[in-house]
Amino acid sequence: MENRPLLRSTLAIYTMLFIGFLYAPFVVLGILSFQSGPEGGPQFPIIEWSTYWYRHIFGLTPPSRVAPLPIGEALVRSLTLAFATMVTSTVLGTMTAQAFRRRFKGSGFVFYLVVLGMIVPGVLVGLGIALVANNLGIPRAWWGTAFVGHVLYTFPFAFLVMLAIFNRFDKSVEEAAWSLGVPPMRTFRKVTFPLIFPGVLSSMLFAFTLSYDEFPRTLFAAGADLTLPLAIYGTFAVEIHPNIFSFGVLTTLFSFSLLAIYGVLMTLSVRSAKKVAIQEEIA
Amino acid sequence: MAEAGHRIQGDSGAVAAVRLAAEKKDPRARRITAMLVAPGTIWMILFLVVPMLMMVYVSFWTQKTFTIEPTLTLKSWIAFFSSETYFGALLRTIKIWLIVLAATFFVGYPTALFIGLFIKNRTIQTIVLVLCVVPFWTSFLIRVLAWRPMLGKEGAVNIVLQKIGLISQPIEVLLFTEFSVVIGMTQIYVVFMVGPIAFMLSRIDPSLIEAARDLGASTWRIFRTIIFPLSLPGVVVGAIFVSVMVLGEFATSGALSGRKVNLLGNIIVTQVGSLKWAFAAVVGVILTAVMAVVVAALLRLVDLRKEL
Repeated sequence: MENRPLLRSTLAIYTMLFIGFLYAPFVVLGILSFQSGPEGGPQFPIIEWSTYWYRHIFGLTPPSRVAPLPIGEALVRSLTLAFATMVTSTVLGTMTAQAFRRRFKGSGFVFYLVVLGMIVPGVLVGLGIALVANNLGIPRAWWGTAFVGHVLYTFPFAFLVMLAIFNRFDKSVEEAAWSLGVPPMRTFRKVTFPLIFPGVLSSMLFAFTLSYDEFPRTLFAAGADLTLPLAIYGTFAVEIHPNIFSFGVLTTLFSFSLLAIYGVLMTLSVRSAKKVAIQEEIA
Repeated sequence: MAEAGHRIQGDSGAVAAVRLAAEKKDPRARRITAMLVAPGTIWMILFLVVPMLMMVYVSFWTQKTFTIEPTLTLKSWIAFFSSETYFGALLRTIKIWLIVLAATFFVGYPTALFIGLFIKNRTIQTIVLVLCVVPFWTSFLIRVLAWRPMLGKEGAVNIVLQKIGLISQPIEVLLFTEFSVVIGMTQIYVVFMVGPIAFMLSRIDPSLIEAARDLGASTWRIFRTIIFPLSLPGVVVGAIFVSVMVLGEFATSGALSGRKVNLLGNIIVTQVGSLKWAFAAVVGVILTAVMAVVVAALLRLVDLRKEL
């Protein structure tokens, strides 16, 4: 197809427009987050460039008719929840994928059961969990009912990532350790874990960000204390102000810094793996 | 194919078979596997399967003003299908789903074509794909909200259109209509269509296309008879992703339609808000059924296990 220059350049231009379509709302949102305050509204034109709404989020502006975003405690809850979800789903994902390295009866059933967790829409998961909790008289809370719902969603991601990692993994390394009499736990720590570390890191990243941003599953399952997405959703109902745009910019930067940390850790682990390989070659 | 593979592997295959047999008999290894599988399986059954079954069960309960009672009745089901509002929501959900599915396909396919077939350099291919995925890395609600200053009466789109002289009056129907819901959903979900299609396209053997060209086939014919059929598994996977997500939507439709466009998901949210649990459960069961039918139908189009 390369010998069709016209088609090629048409598609190239189209792809650029497409990427523009994906990014345009963010650019507009970013620009409007620098609207002047408190009188500036969430639309053009920019009355005057200012960082008012950023200061507004951190409570650094004098009180005005615009209420501050209710994010303080919600942020702490969301981070705690995301952390717990990350640990739980990565452990569950690694265990289940480890089991899948052997053929066992019912593996097909378990596979589809786990994958179902990422397919069923969040609103149904939330509704179902809320119904069960209500009928058993369990109070709904972000650290309880919402937490189990989040893991339902992130565990399948961790499982699939770990499954892919184990598929490319040379079993003989482990067997060598076992035959040399190294106990299983120590083998896992010293041999298996370093090999699967990139996968673990990826599942952690997936689980944390998915949970941190999770909204439909949390809506019915969280109870009275709100998580961050719920708090943000609450501000949708009433009039919106540019402070929510500033918040959007900040939370996007937060997600990107997570991605950057992931990138650095990944590079380091690949580099150390290479170093080991080189040392082995020299020896 | 498989048999030949086995024969070539020869000894190592036999060793593996012996090892497999040994493992199967080893009760200790079996116990370990069971212990590894159990926590995840129990989690999914307890917190996913049981709640879903509970939803089906509760849909037949009796709804009192603020409570539900486990006396079985069909009342909520009859209420759903006899109400214009609720049955209308079902039809609207299907309509919006079809439009968004078509939009993500037609908007996404050319991009996937460019990424998968026209960029030969793997690094650049990855970079462009990552560029498409990055917006997905931001908060879902913020992504939805970002469309408000774009589409409003004083929004960016209207300003740009007025500046270049295409329109003299701002278009008011851009925001808080079905249109804005479709635009928002298309932007959010199109990436799930582009990814799988680009993946399938990048696996097409270039010599196949060259051969067709040498035999005198036109570009359109090559696309119709070679490229598109080979990308179909990607389309199906993308369509499943998009369908499942769009059918369960309520946040985008709520925030970008000013609560005018009510999908099944929106009905569930309002019903739970007014403690009509039985009714919400009915809508939930209907939504599940629609989704199951859609996914099953899509899976019939291609045999994914064979193709991937």
